[in-house]
Amino acid sequence: MPAAFPDRFASRPIPIEELRRAISPKLRLHTVDQAAIDAIDPLTYEVVRHRIWSITDEMGDTLKRMSGSTSVTEVNDFDFTIGDELGQEVQVGLFNTGLVAAMDLAIYWTLLHRGENPGIAEGDMFLCNDPWVGGGLHQNDVAVLAPIFHDGRLFGWSTAICHVADLGGSAPGSFSPSATDIFSEAVPTPPIKIVRGGEIQDDVVDAYLRRSRVPEMVGLDLRAKIGANRLAVERLLTLVGRYGPDLVKAVMKRMMDDAERRLRAKLAALPDGAWHAIGHQEQAGLGDRGIYKIELRMTKIGDHLTFDFTGTDPQQGMINCPYAGMRAGVMFALLPVLAGDIPWAAGGLMRCFDLVSEEGTINNASFPAAVAKAPVGPAWATANLVAECLGKMLDTMVESRPRVQSVCAGTYDGCLLAGVDAEGRPFIGGLADTMASGYGAQTDADGVDTAGLFVIPMGRAPDVEMTELTQPLLYLWRREEADTGGAGRRRGGLSGSVCVIGHGTRGSMTAMFTGSGKAASMSPGLAGGYPGGTQLDLVVHDSGARRALAAGRIPGSVEELGGEHYLVQAHDEVPVHPDSAVVLRWGAGGGYGDPLLREPAEVARDVADGKVSPEAARTLYAVVLDEMGAADPAATDAARRRARVRRRESATAPVTTAEPVLAVAGERRPLDDNLRLAPDGEGGSVVVCAHCDHPLGRWGENYLAPLPRRTGSPGEAGPTAWADPADYVDVPIEFRQFYCPGCYTALLTQVVPAAQPILLDRAPV
Amino acid sequence: MTYVIGLDVGGTFTDAVAADSSGALYTAKTPSTPPDFACGFENALDLLASQAGLTTGELLARTSHVAHGTTAALNALVTGDVATVGFLTTRGHGDAITIMNVEGRYLGLSPHEAQDTLRTRKPDPLVARSLRCEVTERIDRDGRVVVPLDEDEVRAHLREMVAQGVSALAVSLLWSFRNQAHELRIRELAREEAPDLYVTLSSELTPRIREFARAATTIMNAQVGPTLRAYLDPLERRLRDRGLAGPLLVMQGSGGTVSARKAPEVAITTVGSVLTGGVVGAARLAEQLGHPNVVSTDVGGTTFLVGLIVDGRPVSTAGTVLNQHPINTPALRVHAIGSGGGAIAAVDAGGNLRVGPNSAGARPGPACYGQGGLSPTVTDADLVVGILNPDFFLGGRQPLSRELAEKALLEQVGRPLGLDAEGAAAAVFAVQNGQTGDLVRKVVVEAGHDPRDFVVYAFGGAGPMHSFAYAAELGARRLVVPLGPTAGVFSAYGLAASGVTVSAELSDPAPLPLDPARVQANFDALTARVRTALADQELDFTSVVLRREVDARYGPQISEVTTPVADGPFDEAAVAAVGDAFEAQYARQFGAGTGYREAGIQVITYRVHGVGTLPVDPALPTPPPAAVKVEEARKGSRPVFLDVTRGWADTAVYDYRALGPGHVIAGPAVVEVPTTTVVIPADAEGHVDRLGNLAIHLP
Repeated sequence: MPAAFPDRFASRPIPIEELRRAISPKLRLHTVDQAAIDAIDPLTYEVVRHRIWSITDEMGDTLKRMSGSTSVTEVNDFDFTIGDELGQEVQVGLFNTGLVAAMDLAIYWTLLHRGENPGIAEGDMFLCNDPWVGGGLHQNDVAVLAPIFHDGRLFGWSTAICHVADLGGSAPGSFSPSATDIFSEAVPTPPIKIVRGGEIQDDVVDAYLRRSRVPEMVGLDLRAKIGANRLAVERLLTLVGRYGPDLVKAVMKRMMDDAERRLRAKLAALPDGAWHAIGHQEQAGLGDRGIYKIELRMTKIGDHLTFDFTGTDPQQGMINCPYAGMRAGVMFALLPVLAGDIPWAAGGLMRCFDLVSEEGTINNASFPAAVAKAPVGPAWATANLVAECLGKMLDTMVESRPRVQSVCAGTYDGCLLAGVDAEGRPFIGGLADTMASGYGAQTDADGVDTAGLFVIPMGRAPDVEMTELTQPLLYLWRREEADTGGAGRRRGGLSGSVCVIGHGTRGSMTAMFTGSGKAASMSPGLAGGYPGGTQLDLVVHDSGARRALAAGRIPGSVEELGGEHYLVQAHDEVPVHPDSAVVLRWGAGGGYGDPLLREPAEVARDVADGKVSPEAARTLYAVVLDEMGAADPAATDAARRRARVRRRESATAPVTTAEPVLAVAGERRPLDDNLRLAPDGEGGSVVVCAHCDHPLGRWGENYLAPLPRRTGSPGEAGPTAWADPADYVDVPIEFRQFYCPGCYTALLTQVVPAAQPILLDRAPV
Repeated sequence: MTYVIGLDVGGTFTDAVAADSSGALYTAKTPSTPPDFACGFENALDLLASQAGLTTGELLARTSHVAHGTTAALNALVTGDVATVGFLTTRGHGDAITIMNVEGRYLGLSPHEAQDTLRTRKPDPLVARSLRCEVTERIDRDGRVVVPLDEDEVRAHLREMVAQGVSALAVSLLWSFRNQAHELRIRELAREEAPDLYVTLSSELTPRIREFARAATTIMNAQVGPTLRAYLDPLERRLRDRGLAGPLLVMQGSGGTVSARKAPEVAITTVGSVLTGGVVGAARLAEQLGHPNVVSTDVGGTTFLVGLIVDGRPVSTAGTVLNQHPINTPALRVHAIGSGGGAIAAVDAGGNLRVGPNSAGARPGPACYGQGGLSPTVTDADLVVGILNPDFFLGGRQPLSRELAEKALLEQVGRPLGLDAEGAAAAVFAVQNGQTGDLVRKVVVEAGHDPRDFVVYAFGGAGPMHSFAYAAELGARRLVVPLGPTAGVFSAYGLAASGVTVSAELSDPAPLPLDPARVQANFDALTARVRTALADQELDFTSVVLRREVDARYGPQISEVTTPVADGPFDEAAVAAVGDAFEAQYARQFGAGTGYREAGIQVITYRVHGVGTLPVDPALPTPPPAAVKVEEARKGSRPVFLDVTRGWADTAVYDYRALGPGHVIAGPAVVEVPTTTVVIPADAEGHVDRLGNLAIHLP
């Protein structure tokens, strides 16, 4: 029985042999058997493998040099892949890594639904921007898929994809904060033949570009993608001509097998376990004041991972992503954290995990949910949870600890601006400075400041001059913001802020915002490290900016702007008048470890460099600086002892009737900076403090629940928590810190909804 | 008699070439003498003079100019031995050099390094926070003053900086390339407040849009300017004392030159100085051999360098990267990867063979050197596949141990991959050839050219062993191994033989159609600057040729395509022709039908190059014709493995010293030269040309 119409478009990974059987017999596939893969000599393997790597490299350069969108040229929000005949990914680019999780889905779908009619033939290319089909996470991700034929048989696929500026819908940028379903967003287009037999089809191109507010820009991007694919097809066929199709294909398959084998070996070397984390999306759309959760239970058994998202809230408003977004969330985190040192033959890497999820939830939404926010909303939030769980998993072995990273800036701060310039021409632009967010701290290093987005490893932020050139704006400042990086033994990377006014605009502009992490940070720290700074966007009306400039002054802070502050909501549409200023301060990286354990000299250096304020040095790090700005060792020691006493005196411990647990002598196995596993003498294990060996709880039971803790206002997370969560959401949000009852080291520091239970964040399986 | 002298001071050797107006050429190679490089400089001059039968004073008195390639600026940046710089920028924007547009985290890394995101870091900021000062002033994109410069504030900052020990000042304000007034005024104030301060203005050094790269370049210039001055001033004084009458010119990364007196002002442009000589020399050789399009490759101990000559001119790039900081001044495009002879081969955790970028260096060197190196290198593989003669490496000065090479290859590569030592050597050899082939192809193809139109030149000790493979990979038909009398000092020859090139550019982004008067005014201003700069070199040129170009792009594309602009005055038709030329260039680079005029064409940067030709034009000398038959140069044969498909094959071995112009050698053959070893593959022919080079015709 044919699937119901919407279900027809829900592409899923399917067993590869099943896929092969379901493809129209009209389409002849080129493949090789395992014997051919095993027979490749190492020499040829190396030569051909290097060549394929170099082809994807060239594709990226070509795409970037030909594109006309700021999202590509200034921000690097694009990617590309080379796949085998079934679309399994052999090599992918280093840019928007989530796209990798969607590209093969689109090819599977195209093989199943286009092989018979209209057919897949040599010289064809398909355009796709239906996120249920795949290819991208939302409609603005437009993919061009190119089948590669050799000798009449389908040999492989190359794809190129980038975020385009506008594809219609009710709001500029195709991003409507008031959307409740996809019908007020850009039209999704399932794979359609845009190049036929090598010829670009003008009717299809017109039908595609007609929907856009900026067809020239989108048209140039289309040609960039076609150009990148042409290059890949040509280069791959040259390789096939030289080494023969069977050998090149065998190398492609083995690249995936190798990546899979290496990831499995890495997983197998780690202790098995289960990890549990909850993250949020704030506000489901314009005017909403809710907070919605995504829940992850990750288990690692042997060489396999399972990501179970059961418990995630049902799809809501416009904060949803389809299946591809959830899968992208996993890849966003898995690629840098687990596979940084493994070649990204993503087809192989994706065999190492399963996804469990209920359809109709915010990170696995059903048609016709609004999904324009997918990549920067729920997909990213999914990635945060995956990163948090992977970090805790890797913290359990000395060898893997250097690959632990606290969550990087947990969301994007999107600000689109639309208006009319002095010559009367409409413009749509935006502030991509928010690309410069902070990375999470690692066990052996601070998070990189203004490092970028971890979802686009090679992303970038534009120069101020480039933004001012292309949009009628004037920046009053763009800088790093002290104290935004989560405090910790290793500090989270700082984010920054900008302040912008219209310059050469006619009348008012409209600013459209999308964000999250305003009520509570979305970048938690690990091992007692503090969360990264929250997002804070303001539109300051009746600001004194213009008057100040006319008087020869440049305002350097929100206070100096004066005026009336409008606190921008997670999703918002705000008029920006000629005397208004837009201020953005975006999310930063989480910290690692208790800040009381940070080297005092490093705190002093941070204060000198403007990374940490003197106030935070005193309150969060308990470091005393002398007149020269150097850390005073004796005074700092005393201050830190007092800080621990204060923790003890202000902490509350739940009343418990449970018997105290005891650890016996024996090996202490690491769990993180502060926790160790110790034998209990009866064959079980006990979680103990790494610093004072105080037993905390039985391994497998909720060891956090009975610990002394402090709850307070979110302002305790640091001086940068400027706004009150109640300005954004109705549920109360609180600061929580859990301590070792022996030495009062902070074991967990978080800012979460007060109603959130204390999770058993790590457990044996 | 008039002489020109080219003198290239590298880390290890100082190379020199003197040419006179009669066509005579003298060469010298002496050890460099760090830290006082001037000493080696003078030793080289003494050697040249004695060959010419003159005293050094006589030689210098008759020298029209000395062209000098120096690593002084580069070394200072690499070692961090630089001036303490204060940085002045627009209020609100001092963090541009720490934010680094995010890309500072991965600039200059290989894809392999960049992929490991968790290990990427930003470099330390170029200027510490306490020396970064923001000044109240603002200019907008049209060059209008939005906020005037607060001069009192500037003075206060200057005093504070001087108190903190600053010896150089970098000034880079937003949009200063559109309106220089504030930067110029700051320099005046600096002269009043601190007359000894070395000052660099971004609007003079690199007047291009994008404030981050502009600021970084300006700061690095200020860091090395005083260093370069401290090196050049005494050097020039000593040369003057010994009788030099003509100017001392310093080679720039762009292939241009600048007088030693002016060089410290634009010190950053001399970074890459030593790489440039080789490419310029290759261009001169290409001219003499009649090759318009050349890929110049140089394989040394640690790096593999590739430069491109198109239509007789070295291809340049708008900027480079050093220590993850962008340098925004034009330079000859020299691509480099860590695939030199010392590149280490290893099998990673996943069983993948990698060659380079780590190098065994000179110490311990390749395993076969027997200096304690245990890691197999490209040189070890070259020995085991039979290309290298263990008794005739570097003319026999460095004996090689095949046993040690085999042991290292077997243990580090063979066992993990399931190969014997010879198989491992063949694998390393093939991967090395694949990597270098990839780079060469990328360089040619990305510049929009058809590789079949190119001749490959192979320099460096390790180049000629592998060049047949990467040339074939590229699809080139001709390969030249330069081996004449100047082969060992080729970049010094390039310095002596290059005309004097200066360039000027300005950024004035605007869409087509442009007002012809605006285009004319831009080119007029640049032409005037180029003519002044040529006049500043204090030389008598026989002719001066000017060349104009623009960097243009569609709409808001990030990268521009450099497009030549015809001579002549501008009217609407001439401006339209610029657009057409851009589209033609674009289609050549990215393929027919990929252009998209609907998106609009923007002209971003205007540039004028001026080349002054000198009276002395050193040609390469021609050795005497062959005295013996080619068979007499044959030393014997040995089995060599050159290609996976052919395997081991008995291969003739020749001694280059017995060869002469006119000799032809059929491949497969190995030619042993005291400085290198040349491979002629099967089905190819090697011709000794009239300059003594081996020209190989590939099948």
